[in-house]
Amino acid sequence: MTSAVQMRRGVLLALGMLAPVLLTWWSAPAAAGGASAPYQWRLPQGFPKPPVPAGNPMTEAKVELGRYLFYDTRMSVNGKASCATCHRQSLAFTDGRPTGIGATGEKHSRSAMSLVNVAYAGVLTWSNPQMKTLEDQALVPMFGRHPVELGLSKDGDFLTRLRAEPKYRELFEQAFPGEMDPFTVTNVTHAIACFERSIISARSPYDRYHFGGDDHAVSESAKRGEILFFSQPLSCFRCHGGFNFSDATVSERNPSRQIEFHNTGLYNLAGILSYPAPNTGIYEYTQKPSDVGKFKTPTLRNIALTAPYMHDGSVSSLTDVLDHYAAGGRTIHGGPDAGVGHDNPNKDALIGGFSLSDRDRIDLIAFLKNLTDQEVIHDQRFADPWTEK
Amino acid sequence: MRYKRRPSFLLGFAVRPLCIVAAIGASLLCAQTPDPQPAPATLTITGDLPSSLVLKAEDLSKMPRETVSVQDQDGTKVDYEGVLLLEVLKRAGAPLGNQLRGKALASYVLAKARDGYQVVFTLAEIDPAFGNEQILIADRRNGKPLFGYQGPFRLVCPGDKAGARSVRMLETLEIVRLQK
Repeated sequence: MTSAVQMRRGVLLALGMLAPVLLTWWSAPAAAGGASAPYQWRLPQGFPKPPVPAGNPMTEAKVELGRYLFYDTRMSVNGKASCATCHRQSLAFTDGRPTGIGATGEKHSRSAMSLVNVAYAGVLTWSNPQMKTLEDQALVPMFGRHPVELGLSKDGDFLTRLRAEPKYRELFEQAFPGEMDPFTVTNVTHAIACFERSIISARSPYDRYHFGGDDHAVSESAKRGEILFFSQPLSCFRCHGGFNFSDATVSERNPSRQIEFHNTGLYNLAGILSYPAPNTGIYEYTQKPSDVGKFKTPTLRNIALTAPYMHDGSVSSLTDVLDHYAAGGRTIHGGPDAGVGHDNPNKDALIGGFSLSDRDRIDLIAFLKNLTDQEVIHDQRFADPWTEK
Repeated sequence: MRYKRRPSFLLGFAVRPLCIVAAIGASLLCAQTPDPQPAPATLTITGDLPSSLVLKAEDLSKMPRETVSVQDQDGTKVDYEGVLLLEVLKRAGAPLGNQLRGKALASYVLAKARDGYQVVFTLAEIDPAFGNEQILIADRRNGKPLFGYQGPFRLVCPGDKAGARSVRMLETLEIVRLQK
């Protein structure tokens, strides 16, 4: 009796041990190539691999499905908006507005951030230290109510619309093979996240100069501007450093870097809330008065395309940005936001101000414009698939 | 010899420094806008020495070469090549080895950059009998000469957790003896 039980247990154990091998063998033909193949990053020299959540590995099929979803207005409550409404490829995946506008016309309180190189962002959005994956972040514009962005309902109405599209039946099956019903909210967010991670910008004149060894890729003015940018008196590089020009950058080799948030002296209202609500920075999450006005450092890649600037789009041009930092903070003389940003008690010590000659100003702007990657805004891999012929 | 940093030691050349060395650097900062003209490719070692030494890139190329592989805080891996600071200081006649004792132990190196940035190293932290820090004067990055805001010379300090002492656009090393 005992030996029979042991034998049965032994057989079960052997089957259990063999199961992964059998499953691997069974799924091998599907995974060997084609749609389920692991995504090829095609990263240039100088760029590390981005971190990818273990629960959502990159595949070509998910990236492609995500592209269709990203550009699909059926992903909004009234068919009037998609992710691409606030993240336009021609503007390095921003919208050109001071602050975003949702499908129903409701204004967002903050500026739409660029999605270029978002795969390297250690935290997402301007000021949420807890928002760390694109999968989670996608839920905010989809279902958020304050403000309404895409305005989708959690009862899954939009999934019915997606199911009705023949193209999606093909794409979902390829992206999530073997699932009884791949039309789920989780799969939608996973696919969109994969597409967003694929939007890598690394082909600017700066990249050709620095990583490609092409000394003529940038002007002499831009080279002078680069030295100013990385100089101690200006110290732009202290926050906008590294290959992605942001100290909020992570990678596969260092996925859990401590992310810093900065108050740059844009406002200085009287009282504890020195920044106008609701844009109080990470204070919104920490409730620490010393965190009022602290925001994430955005990447400077393609910065010439992403005006207006700052978390609330309140600075209209790169020249005005330079003026703000040169003054060590912004002074607003009248109105409800009046105050001397230079004196904000939470202002980062690095924002001390500096002097610039006219030539310095021209050189810095030339340097910043050299971070524009024309290829990323024209690359068909990131373009609207619904308009392809 | 080629050595790599311990994985837990991340070198952040382009990030906001957090440790005390940053404070030292900041306190010594003499703010000045860097001359945008190309710097002469020389490194001057001066101060409390028998005589000053001026090294050109070709001089460094003939000295014992080392390579350091470092990782930035954003995960970028970079190979720097150059000459150990120890070798350059020995050649300049700084008190090292058997001479590094008594009053000489109160000596430091002031590293100055073209943009006015300055940091300090004690001679003892560099000397093999004491700290033995493998600080490199680099002139090549990933096999190519340093240029632009990096060069033509820079320090690389693999033993530092923060990157604030890895001075770019290095121009001068000044030896200061506090007790003579």
